[in-house]
Amino acid sequence: MAERPRTYTAEGVILRRRNIGEADSIFTVYSDREGKFDAVARGVRKTRSKMRGHLEPLTRSRFLIAKGRSLDVFAQAETVHHYRAVREDLDRAATAVYCAELVDRFTAERAPQEGLYSLLLGILDALEDGCGITVARYFEVQLLALSGYDLALDACALCTTPLAAEDTLLSPSAGGLVCRLCRPQAEGGRILGVRAVKVLRYARRATLDAFAALNLDPDLDAELRTALALVIRHTLERDLAATRFLEDVRRLPGPHPAPSPDGRVE
Amino acid sequence: MAEGAGTPEPIARLIEAFHRLPGIGPKSAQRLAYHILRVPPQEAEALASAIRDVKERIRFCSICLNITDTDPCAYCTDSRRDPSAICVVEQALDITAVERAGGFRGRYHVLHGVLNPIDGVGPEDLHIKELVTRLADGEVKEVIMATNSSLEGEATAMYIHRLVGPLGVKVTRLARGLPSGADLEYTDDLTLSRAFEGRQEI
Repeated sequence: MAERPRTYTAEGVILRRRNIGEADSIFTVYSDREGKFDAVARGVRKTRSKMRGHLEPLTRSRFLIAKGRSLDVFAQAETVHHYRAVREDLDRAATAVYCAELVDRFTAERAPQEGLYSLLLGILDALEDGCGITVARYFEVQLLALSGYDLALDACALCTTPLAAEDTLLSPSAGGLVCRLCRPQAEGGRILGVRAVKVLRYARRATLDAFAALNLDPDLDAELRTALALVIRHTLERDLAATRFLEDVRRLPGPHPAPSPDGRVE
Repeated sequence: MAEGAGTPEPIARLIEAFHRLPGIGPKSAQRLAYHILRVPPQEAEALASAIRDVKERIRFCSICLNITDTDPCAYCTDSRRDPSAICVVEQALDITAVERAGGFRGRYHVLHGVLNPIDGVGPEDLHIKELVTRLADGEVKEVIMATNSSLEGEATAMYIHRLVGPLGVKVTRLARGLPSGADLEYTDDLTLSRAFEGRQEI
């Protein structure tokens, strides 16, 4: 029998870094073929480290990784994309970190989810190309769908009656929109205005580019953000650190991305 | 740490204490403990009292949050230093690095950490409020952000820029580029592209 190779290659996005010891760090990567994994980079915090800049969070890199007894070790790393415009803009950096944390929380180790890597790259590319940070709503809806928590948006999540275009309850426990009749049975959630309902449906079926072109106005985005945050918290049973940071950033004085004067839907 | 049952309790305790220090493994801890055992009593006493003093006498400067034994600290009271420029660093150790490099003769501000959106370290966990207070009287003209050139360091610099920019203070960021002795071949694209933008005539 052939011996198992001791190294493998992967391409992925660095989601987070944890420092250990004096100069080492453990990085969590979401990769195309391996899914999420942790690996350690030895001496990476020294100025002379050859891998240092290639292992920054929110960098897309190619890796050569050596299998270790408990933890795998980065042998080489090379940047594919460093998303400079994202990391040099506080709103976009905070949004990208939030998306990275979502990926981290929604995935299990070494269990690649079909489509998730390209969704993650898509959102980073969109932010890099100057899309508004409201594309995070698209990411949330799509991530829920890819992870098996697809929201019921066209028919009631409880009785499957097709839904009319009207204000509708988004219920985290029911896993989607709930019709008027079922509303008393659904616990918690938020009533969404008809525009927000339409945007949710659009986020579910449109391409990222098409959704980014919507340029949601701040109120509509806030309505969706709050409702989706409830769904995500219900699903993960925890709060996200990046959500808190996004709130801190939102409280800062300008320059927020300029909302378009008529960010209307349809 | 699993010390043999025959190890006298005071030695085991010392080994355990050394083992808690960063970068000290079980073997080094053992070696250090047995070294202490061998040195003359006054040398061991000096070490013990140095440790006690550092905990008893060192506190944060009430102005810049640097660690100091006099409050305000030496940098804040030195009248030869320029009070119109504040260099903001992540930790007190960074002041030593900036001082060693020389060239900066202003004052400092220590944040005692860095914004880390991934691990949930927010602005209220750092000493940012104290910085804003220092800017209130208009004496400070420039805030130099000397946080690390990492995602977290950049986020912190941008956050503070957005926060204090409206106060009319100039906020600057340390240049980013090649470290001396660096191999171009192994330099990441981000550093290299910034180095190109910041190139200077020879």
